[in-house]
Amino acid sequence: MKTNQSIPHRFFFAVTAKPKTIMALAFVIIIATGAFIPTLTIDSRSEAFLPEDDPALLYRDHVEETFGLKDPMVIAVVNKGEHGVFNPQSLQLIQWLTNEVMKMPEINRDRVVSLATEDNITGNEEGMLVEKFYKNQPETQNDADNIRKAVMDFPLYLGSLVARDGSSALIVTEVYDVNEAPKVYEKLLALVERAPTHGEQLHVAGDGAVSGYLVTYINADSARLVPISVVIITLLCILSFRTWRGVLIPTVIILSATASALGFMAAAGVPIYVITTSMPILLVGVAVADSIHVLSQYYEELANHPEKGQRELVVRTMELMWRPVTVTTLTSMIGFLGISISSFMPSMQAFGLFSLIGLGVAGLFSLTFVPAALVILKPVHSSAFKTSGPDIFSRTMDKVGGWVLGHTKIVIFLAFIVCVGGVIGALKLEVNESWVENFRASEPIFLADVAINETLDGSNTLDIVIETANKEDIFKPENLRRIDALQSFLTTLPHVNGSTSIVDYIKQMNRSLNENKTSEYLIPDDVDLISQYFLLYSASGDPTDFEEQVDYDYQMALVRARLDSARYQQSKVVVEEAQKYIDYVFNTDEIKATLSGRVNVDYHWLDTLLGTQFKSVLFALVLVWLLVCVSLRSFYGGILAVIPVMLACLSVYAFMGVMGITLAVGTSMTAAIALGIGVDFSIHTLDRIKLLITDQGVEPDVALRRLFPTTGRALLFSFVAVFVGFGILGLSYVPPLSKLGMLIAFSVLISFISSMTVLPALIKQLKPAFLGYSKKCSVCERNERSALEIIKQQP
Amino acid sequence: MKKLILNSSLFLVFFSSSILAIELPSGDEIALKINARDEGIAVSRHLKMQMTDRHGKVRVRETRAFRKYFGDEKRTAIFYLKPKNIKDTAFLTYDYADKEKDDDQWLYLPAMRKVRRISASDRGDYFLGTDLSYEDIKLETRISIKDYTRKTIAESEVDGFHCYVVAETTVDNETAEELGHLRRESCVDDNIWIVRKSQFWDLQDNLLKTTYFRDISKVQGIWTAHTIDVENHKTGHHTKFTFSDVDYSKGVKDSVFTKNVLKRGL
Repeated sequence: MKTNQSIPHRFFFAVTAKPKTIMALAFVIIIATGAFIPTLTIDSRSEAFLPEDDPALLYRDHVEETFGLKDPMVIAVVNKGEHGVFNPQSLQLIQWLTNEVMKMPEINRDRVVSLATEDNITGNEEGMLVEKFYKNQPETQNDADNIRKAVMDFPLYLGSLVARDGSSALIVTEVYDVNEAPKVYEKLLALVERAPTHGEQLHVAGDGAVSGYLVTYINADSARLVPISVVIITLLCILSFRTWRGVLIPTVIILSATASALGFMAAAGVPIYVITTSMPILLVGVAVADSIHVLSQYYEELANHPEKGQRELVVRTMELMWRPVTVTTLTSMIGFLGISISSFMPSMQAFGLFSLIGLGVAGLFSLTFVPAALVILKPVHSSAFKTSGPDIFSRTMDKVGGWVLGHTKIVIFLAFIVCVGGVIGALKLEVNESWVENFRASEPIFLADVAINETLDGSNTLDIVIETANKEDIFKPENLRRIDALQSFLTTLPHVNGSTSIVDYIKQMNRSLNENKTSEYLIPDDVDLISQYFLLYSASGDPTDFEEQVDYDYQMALVRARLDSARYQQSKVVVEEAQKYIDYVFNTDEIKATLSGRVNVDYHWLDTLLGTQFKSVLFALVLVWLLVCVSLRSFYGGILAVIPVMLACLSVYAFMGVMGITLAVGTSMTAAIALGIGVDFSIHTLDRIKLLITDQGVEPDVALRRLFPTTGRALLFSFVAVFVGFGILGLSYVPPLSKLGMLIAFSVLISFISSMTVLPALIKQLKPAFLGYSKKCSVCERNERSALEIIKQQP
Repeated sequence: MKKLILNSSLFLVFFSSSILAIELPSGDEIALKINARDEGIAVSRHLKMQMTDRHGKVRVRETRAFRKYFGDEKRTAIFYLKPKNIKDTAFLTYDYADKEKDDDQWLYLPAMRKVRRISASDRGDYFLGTDLSYEDIKLETRISIKDYTRKTIAESEVDGFHCYVVAETTVDNETAEELGHLRRESCVDDNIWIVRKSQFWDLQDNLLKTTYFRDISKVQGIWTAHTIDVENHKTGHHTKFTFSDVDYSKGVKDSVFTKNVLKRGL
């Protein structure tokens, strides 16, 4: 201990010897790292959750390339009236919207699909008829009824382009350049705004819309939340210290943390992902906590020893604070390290890694910049730390301490109940995430998705790639029948409302060439006839017409199933059942099927989320425990330190269970972060108790009581800082971030409460020797009464 | 918006041509010279269609093709020889000079043993899975006078031959929509008055496709392009027509262009 003390003493003596150099260096670091920030880019794609070399993602990209699939932008026209969209006004509206989107230079006019652009393929005795559904502009209800009849008799578009009950229809568009999707989304919204409606509801949806929308969200979030959190933290510092330095010094620490986290991220060429947008906001709260503890200690020293010189005060403060500051910084970093290591998602890895860097720099600054800055300034008393007596915060904490130490058994019992509730909650924890839940339920994009999934077959696609042995094998009737059976099977699965493939087109062609008889909606037996149908179709179609259904060699085909839900629990059933069918029923040596599409990709990465979550928590827990053990030189101490955070984690699980919050990308990180940050409270508590007992020779139970007005007060402020930091994140427009913020804030609250209640209660009950309790517990008990007497006599 | 593009491109065409127009023959003069070239009343030829998608996958179809003018009316018959699964499939079309009258089209499907009538196509529709439009097939190497206004904008060279660049813009939106393009630029060989290269811009004024007429030589006194290469810039799809065994002299029987022959075969 002596050598330990002397090294920090020498270190802080050196730091305070050249304060100006240290401060200059600090500003150089802030400016140098901050200079990279303007080069940051935003990546809001949903694919950004997956590493670029993920096999499921690679395969999907390959499939999209083979079949020329692009994520469309969609306008949905919904009419809940008697005729649905099949009334003259709504049909004219579809025509109007179609014409307008075709005028947009960003949209590929050739790929705009709506009732107004599409052909109806029918037949009569003479042959096949290919005519527009809109032969003429529909003027009367009779015209509209005729169109309805034609559409309802054309199975290919039902559920995909028009609702089966006629209540909605889509205008499907494709942008030339996906980077322009956000811009096009805005333009489509404006178009919908000025559209001549007659009671129809219009929605804009699509993947481009999602990504575009997230960029808007991210920018709006940062512009709003960062200033709020800075203002609140500043107010908190004013309230806590009531001096200029008490505000400015923590501000520099905040700057150092955010500048280094974002600066290193920019320098590493890592873009801002949806998740990492929360980084500056939470760094503000977490980084400032250490400087609050240091400054509190400083003002306390100043109040208690007004006769001492500034440098002596500062060195003394730092000697007392370096260990808890270092350990708490390291534990917070461990929480983020756990996320960074255990997750395979680039966005979560970046979030963990760069938050860790920011916290590390903030810790370093707390140990160097803070003493340097303090030593330059003359000693100025904080009115919050009067020698005359404790302020309201100290007195409140003191009262809390009095109650807790008087009711230790109740406190421990309550903690036990929380434990049980948490375990039950943790066992019920399930993964459920859907991309649309990235948006608030009141947002247009969310409403659009709801409208499409309610009236049409669904906006979520599961693709099945069919591969055959030879060119043109797709024409073989036996292969087509196998695909047909697969499609029938898929529609028996929950939430799968429809599917399309080349088979549907072949059946329709067969029907139209056989006088349009419904009974001829089937796969013909003759392989030559099927190939001739395609030649026939090409007489009026585009060369690339079937690109999305079949490859140019007629060797591969794509079946696209539509689901009305993107939620993991629902897609899981569909993906797993479809895979079983493929493995046991579909696949032969001649023909093979493979799953792809968004539903499949999402299933694969979400499937690993639960494991990732427990891995990161376990990692953080073990490492934090080890660190505290080393710091306190006691295994027992390590266990005591992690009890409050384990309680906090368990109450988070219980809270998630009660609130129906499921494990998703955002929320899966809660436990590890909460653990790393929450443990700070118990470390400060234990460190202070140990200091009071072993170094200052205070009676153990007196030390426990004395903890509350001093360290308790500092913990209260650092808790509020962290709580506010994450709480502000709870105001985010992005629901996953808002949930993450709320859950961590909640767990920090529990960590703080249990560090101030359960931990002292346990210490009082267990009387651990590592804190300086005498091994003979009877002695402690006898001393208890007299110790309390002494405290009461204190002013 | 479309009008704006149209007007501004007209302006550009006008502006650039007014500087050069002094020595260049006018667009209309060139168009008339092209259309005055002899194409023969009837022709029979072997036509190989080779289509390639953007991944480089190829479909090859071999046919025997006939074309004959009946006054202003033009009839085309195509009999498929290869590949096996579409052998004996045959296509017949009557293009009427009267624009108001829809063209008639039939297809014989041997697997059904039936001639089926198929709906008339728009002029801008793609012809039997190729990158050529029905209008391209109908005009071959000629030019439609009524559909465009034209200016000669430059001199250039294609495949080593001197040519005039004629910029043509569709007369109105309706025509543009029918044809599937807004404007085009053709390089016309001023020696033999045949188009060697054409570029098309779609209705949003994006480059749509480029057509090359190659292997041009005289057959029985008539200038004939033996290769037509079309590249669709938007889809990456590519078409190559190769004509061989071209014969203008023997004539083609009227009966070739009937449903009976379509079904019975040649």
